[in-house]
Amino acid sequence: MHRSLGRVMSFTVLFATLAGLLAACGGAASTPPPVERTVVVEATVIVERTVEVPRDVVVTPTAAPQAEGAKIVLRVGTGDSGEGLTPHLKIIEQFEQANPDIQVQLEPVGSGDYYARILTQIAAGDPPDILQIGDDAVPQFVQKGAFADLGPFISGSSYPLDTGIYLPGVLDPGQWDGKQYLLPKDFSPLAVYYNKKLFDQYKLPYPTEAWTWEEFLATAQALTKDTDGDGKTDVWGVQLPGPWTSGFEYWVAAAGGRLISEDGSTFEGYLDSPETATAVQFYSDLYNEYKVAPPPADLNAFGGGNSEFESGKAAMRLFGRWPQAGLKENPNVDLGVVGPPAGVERANVLFWGGFGISALSENQEAAWRFLSYYVGAQGAEVWKDWALPTVASVAEASGQANDPIEGVWIGELDHLAPRAYVSTPYWGATADPALRRVLEQVIIDPATDVPAALKAAVQEAQQALEDQQ
Amino acid sequence: MLLLSVAALFLIPLLWMISSSLKPDYAIFAVPPQLIPNPPRWANYPEAMTFVPFGRYTLNTLLISAVSIVGNLISCTVIAYAFARLRAPGRDALFLVLLATMMLPYPVTMVPLYVLFNALGWINTFLPLTVPTFFGSALYIFLLRQFFLTLPTDLEDAARIDGANTARIIWHVILPLSRPALATVAIFTFQATWNDFLAPLIYLQNPQNYTVTLGLQFFRTSYTTSWAYLMAASLITMLPVVLVFLLAQRLFIEGIALTGLKG
Amino acid sequence: MARLSATRREALTFYLCISPWLVGLLLFVLGPMVVSLGISFTRWDLLTPPRFVGIRNYERMLNDPLFWQSLKVTALYTLLYVPTELVGGLALALLMNQRVPGIAVFRTIFYLPSVISGVAFVVVWMWIFHPEAGLLNLALAQVGITGPRWLTDPRTALSALWLMSLWGLGRTAVIYLAGLKGVPKELHEAAVIDGATSWQAFRHITIPLLTPTIFFNLILSLIATFQTFTSAFVATNGGPLDATLFYVLYLYRQAFERFSMGYASALAWVLFVIILSLTLLVVRSADRWVYYEGARR
Repeated sequence: MHRSLGRVMSFTVLFATLAGLLAACGGAASTPPPVERTVVVEATVIVERTVEVPRDVVVTPTAAPQAEGAKIVLRVGTGDSGEGLTPHLKIIEQFEQANPDIQVQLEPVGSGDYYARILTQIAAGDPPDILQIGDDAVPQFVQKGAFADLGPFISGSSYPLDTGIYLPGVLDPGQWDGKQYLLPKDFSPLAVYYNKKLFDQYKLPYPTEAWTWEEFLATAQALTKDTDGDGKTDVWGVQLPGPWTSGFEYWVAAAGGRLISEDGSTFEGYLDSPETATAVQFYSDLYNEYKVAPPPADLNAFGGGNSEFESGKAAMRLFGRWPQAGLKENPNVDLGVVGPPAGVERANVLFWGGFGISALSENQEAAWRFLSYYVGAQGAEVWKDWALPTVASVAEASGQANDPIEGVWIGELDHLAPRAYVSTPYWGATADPALRRVLEQVIIDPATDVPAALKAAVQEAQQALEDQQ
Repeated sequence: MLLLSVAALFLIPLLWMISSSLKPDYAIFAVPPQLIPNPPRWANYPEAMTFVPFGRYTLNTLLISAVSIVGNLISCTVIAYAFARLRAPGRDALFLVLLATMMLPYPVTMVPLYVLFNALGWINTFLPLTVPTFFGSALYIFLLRQFFLTLPTDLEDAARIDGANTARIIWHVILPLSRPALATVAIFTFQATWNDFLAPLIYLQNPQNYTVTLGLQFFRTSYTTSWAYLMAASLITMLPVVLVFLLAQRLFIEGIALTGLKG
Repeated sequence: MARLSATRREALTFYLCISPWLVGLLLFVLGPMVVSLGISFTRWDLLTPPRFVGIRNYERMLNDPLFWQSLKVTALYTLLYVPTELVGGLALALLMNQRVPGIAVFRTIFYLPSVISGVAFVVVWMWIFHPEAGLLNLALAQVGITGPRWLTDPRTALSALWLMSLWGLGRTAVIYLAGLKGVPKELHEAAVIDGATSWQAFRHITIPLLTPTIFFNLILSLIATFQTFTSAFVATNGGPLDATLFYVLYLYRQAFERFSMGYASALAWVLFVIILSLTLLVVRSADRWVYYEGARR
């Protein structure tokens, strides 16, 4: 019995080996039958190069003579995923039709591992030609020479771009040191979602533009209810994004403060300023003192685990535009949107993603042609169905500027305060974790001495800043 | 009895996964939680599977798995046998080195390895994911070595007296006795390649070559997660591994021939 | 040509057999390891060329409170996880080893969770641990206990991750199962006939014969817990208040979020030395408690 089983096994192994070998040889190199539109002939030539990148590279676009019939293959890296890839693919299809000498290969990677991948690729000298990055990564990447200065392309003679077409403020995150390195893909300020159902149920007027922190608090308190008398809150006034530091910058700005000096050299007097302390205290009080906000369900994903608003158990939610599509379809919610309340002043912060051309790219001319299409007026026509368009004319024409919901987002662009990372490329490594720790602490422990915690944070951040030099 | 209650405990999170996979996103986190979705949203499954081309990804991953299993089985058996049965100077030191190689965290050799594979031109192929298995994987060498050490040496000694060389011994004596261990190696290799994330992430660029785990990542963006789709897709992509396990189980049940020695 | 002695021939066969591994070692392991050691003496942000800084990264480590915190978290977790995994896995394997109709289904149920892809696995448990709506606290409430806030409470977050990991015991159990199959039932039965209780037979016959498997699982456990990453990355991102800041998570952060690849490499080498020392300890002690029936020559 052993022998026959052994024989079966050996045949299986043999067969599997052959199959495996055949497959291994064939699988990697064969051209797969097209299933999605992203299929592209992958024959990118990887040229050996050292990683040394001169800092002040100024690219002068020249009309590169093309070899007969050779298509330029552009690689585009993006952190978008799933359905969010559809607009990318649509634009690519349109562009390739209009520009038959270029083929575009989209290389998407979902979620937070995108940076690990592109950093590895850059370190090995092999990044995609066009890269998408988020706003707070801009200083680091740009300062270290990862992106090409788009200035010469923008004002160049072959494919110029009129930067006036964009909505206010959306170009700024892609700039550094006065030069434009990235163009905007999509953006979102903060806003307050509110559930008309709950407002109607408790007969409260909807929030209005330019409302204040006091009005905000009063509304939230009026909508925090224990409906079945068991001592536990069943309806919450507002769902807040927990210890999310970037979103918290709105609170600081609205309190009239800053988190870092303009020249980026010091946090002292800013991170621990009275204005910042006011913001932190108010935020903490919303959770612990007035108890209008449900405690964070998990401390990852900036309170992304909280779902009270989605389930119709919270009347308001402070967040960006990302979950809006799902909220509109949600039967528990009759959606309304209003700008965040003003503290001492009216303020907002912008979240942003953009595309740039890798400084290591060998096809910068071609990449520019695609880039200006991708995020220019033509691309915006496609994007408008998926996100807020960055181009003003498209926003107008599509009616979004006047839409009761979309118009709010666009309107908030007039009240933007500069993000902290703009002042220093080391924000993420220094004050951001310190601030996050403060926020976590005040949410968990109501008895925290806020000014003392902020002072400790300043020391930690300042020390980290010195370590970076 | 005990078996049933422990099994029930293990099943509960799984049941929640299945339940969530049939709800629309906003209903998943409803309080109080509903076990049976009403109505069940079967559409989640085809929608999740076409969110990104999972069919293609599955084929890719199956390919990588199959080749890796073959690579591991061939190389690790021979190497493990050597460590278990053959004497040589430096063997024990080398064994320690073997153990040590399992300890360096991946994020750190990631970049030098990438540079190496880039220089070889293997980026964007399956080669970095499969070829190393033909050089042995420390974990399975270790596993098989431990297993081989439990086999009494009588059969091998007899075979050697009859003049068999190492290759024949491995083929005729060791292999038939090692079915459960080999099955374990096969199952684990399959599972490891199926769930491998970091390596495919950096070595595969063209989305046509992506694996299943890369596909699952698409359900999470920086700011939102498509929970229902994630659950549905995870459940489906789990099935092949379960299938392999079910099939390979027969090798466990049949036991090994060891006990026949005493008779 | 002089005939090689038997010992010589055996040694040669040994090296011939392991030659693929040796080659792979040099190419895929030692090479990159040496490079990463080199990187640990530099400052490198992956975007610009590395800059040599000597042992500064290692000095920085000593004064870095987060480094010590991450060591502490990882060590605590190891103390929690390794014993329970070894014992729990064995218990589960015994359950899986019964000759009961349909045992294949049970085995699959136990093994299934360890096969679920990392993110999905963790996400399921994040919901179970939800302080208000999660299954765990709801179940506790049935018995009148108000459950803690699990993943958002610095005191319980680590325990929550530990509980979560137990769902993956199936994998260890399967290895034990393979080992159990190698224990001849006749020995067990003979002992019982001679008057030993089941438990005595188990303790004095089965377990000693299982020691190679236990050894294997122990080493594996040690290496694995020190490299815990996904659960912390997805569920808590190291929080709250760094209560779950696992070592490799901290390392990953330094490498890819803080642009400090040099420091990350230094961290990696320190980790390597720690695990190596621990493993050496276990291996040395193995001679005293691991019994190989097919004696080691």
